[in-house]
Amino acid sequence: MFVTVFALIIINKAGGLIYNRTFHEGGLHKISTNDYLVLAGTFHGVHAITARLNPLKPAATLNRTSTSSSTTTTAATGAGGGAPFARPDPPSGLEVLETENFRMQCFTTLTGIKFLLFTDTTQANVDLTTRRVYDLYTDYVMKNPFYQLEMPVRCDMFDRKLGSYIREINNR
Amino acid sequence: MVVYSFYIFDRHTECIYAKTWLPPTSSSESHAPGGPTTTLRPASADDAKLIFGTVFSLRNMVRKLGGDDDAFVSYRTAHYKLHFYETASSLRLVMLTDTATLSMRNVLHQIYINLWVEYVVKNPLSPVEHKGGVGVRNELFELGLDQFIGGLM
Amino acid sequence: MAHLGPGKAASSKEQAGLRYPSNGKTIYHRPLNRTKTAELSQSSFAYLFSEMVTYAQRRVTGIQELEKRLNLQGHPIGLKLLDLLLTREPPRSQTRPLTIIALLHFIKINLWTHLFGRQADRLEKSSDPDAPDEYMIVDNEPLVNAYISVPREMSQLNCAAFVAGIIEGVCDGAMFPARVTAHSVGGKEEGEMWPGKTVFLVKFQPEVLEREALIGKG
Repeated sequence: MFVTVFALIIINKAGGLIYNRTFHEGGLHKISTNDYLVLAGTFHGVHAITARLNPLKPAATLNRTSTSSSTTTTAATGAGGGAPFARPDPPSGLEVLETENFRMQCFTTLTGIKFLLFTDTTQANVDLTTRRVYDLYTDYVMKNPFYQLEMPVRCDMFDRKLGSYIREINNR
Repeated sequence: MVVYSFYIFDRHTECIYAKTWLPPTSSSESHAPGGPTTTLRPASADDAKLIFGTVFSLRNMVRKLGGDDDAFVSYRTAHYKLHFYETASSLRLVMLTDTATLSMRNVLHQIYINLWVEYVVKNPLSPVEHKGGVGVRNELFELGLDQFIGGLM
Repeated sequence: MAHLGPGKAASSKEQAGLRYPSNGKTIYHRPLNRTKTAELSQSSFAYLFSEMVTYAQRRVTGIQELEKRLNLQGHPIGLKLLDLLLTREPPRSQTRPLTIIALLHFIKINLWTHLFGRQADRLEKSSDPDAPDEYMIVDNEPLVNAYISVPREMSQLNCAAFVAGIIEGVCDGAMFPARVTAHSVGGKEEGEMWPGKTVFLVKFQPEVLEREALIGKG
């Protein structure tokens, strides 16, 4: 069982669509570029909310808020727990979305760029594929002197390398 | 498997039922140093609204991309997993669990058939519209749900 | 500078404002052959080159001027590399190339191996009888262009103009004054096998050919 990659969307840190490409016809419905732009913006917002909805809050932040009122207990919890000084995890939003017809993997880079990879519903190493796509992005987009940050990606080399990589996966 | 919370939204997008399950250790030890590393965040009324907004946006997004017959099933973050089930009458059931949980679609379906239909819909005292959660919080439904979820965990 | 011994006072005065290692060893004290096989990170080069192109792009009016600037950035490197590479040759062949062919071979083999870790792909003489002063060095995928996608409105541009500048520097340093330009030819011939294929056109000055003819007679 191998995955088929349907499409890729890249969203910049402000929620703007900077790249979208379909690799497999029939996987997803065709929607207009304008709809893609709206979708990117919506997803950006939803992603931020999903990070906030986390039902588990690390104890560290709870301790900090509860002890901020009194200085005497701060030292006690600080010495006992050790956790209040640990760096909190970066907020993590939606990573995988599953529906009846497709599966979407969202990879957020440390700089806030989101890679959305749409595949069929089998779960086989999509993580690896997203990582590789990110690799290609850092190579052929970020090292290109003619690319302006945060702007739509128009790099022939990226298109070509991404195309051949995804073709290789889809034809397995 | 851990279930964190469960929500029901009616077709008017109103939250008519919400319930959270606290981990047994957190209530007594949350202030002790070196206690559990995580505690359940106190759920607020805003949560229900945020969850509905999220689920509604994702559902529309999924329909746009996957076609009208496609249905949003679940999403997962690094910390939790949200399961979604929508009935033909636009009743929406949402459940938050830990990330290791597999698909809960069947479970939500079971809750709908065995609890909602049996104890709420067939209850002659419950109104047709559950404004503000009227008629949902009856004893049989609460008890049944607790037992059902307790059996899963 | 204060921590240096009194013996270094004279040299530290000349080096004022520059960092000078406390043991007094600079790169000038190191043997030239020691870094012969050392390799650099391609990523860091790619980022550096990307900035060089961006820098050259400031306030230029056209593609020709941009290529000219890249060429100028490479020129001094070529001049210096000629010396370095000749020093590294075994003593008996440590002379500078005296004929065009020897020079081009030196570029194709020594210069390319030093810069890119492999030889250039082909060497050609122009078949055009009107241009006997033109030679071509072919590179199927230039390392400098590895990550560069040139936008459509600048399709004339080839950033390997920087490498052309290095070649020009070597030619000038060896007393073969020439104009070197870089041209993209990928996609036209041989299908799409090498989309980044680049030809470095070396056009020697007339006096070089004149001299070459005299040497040939003698």
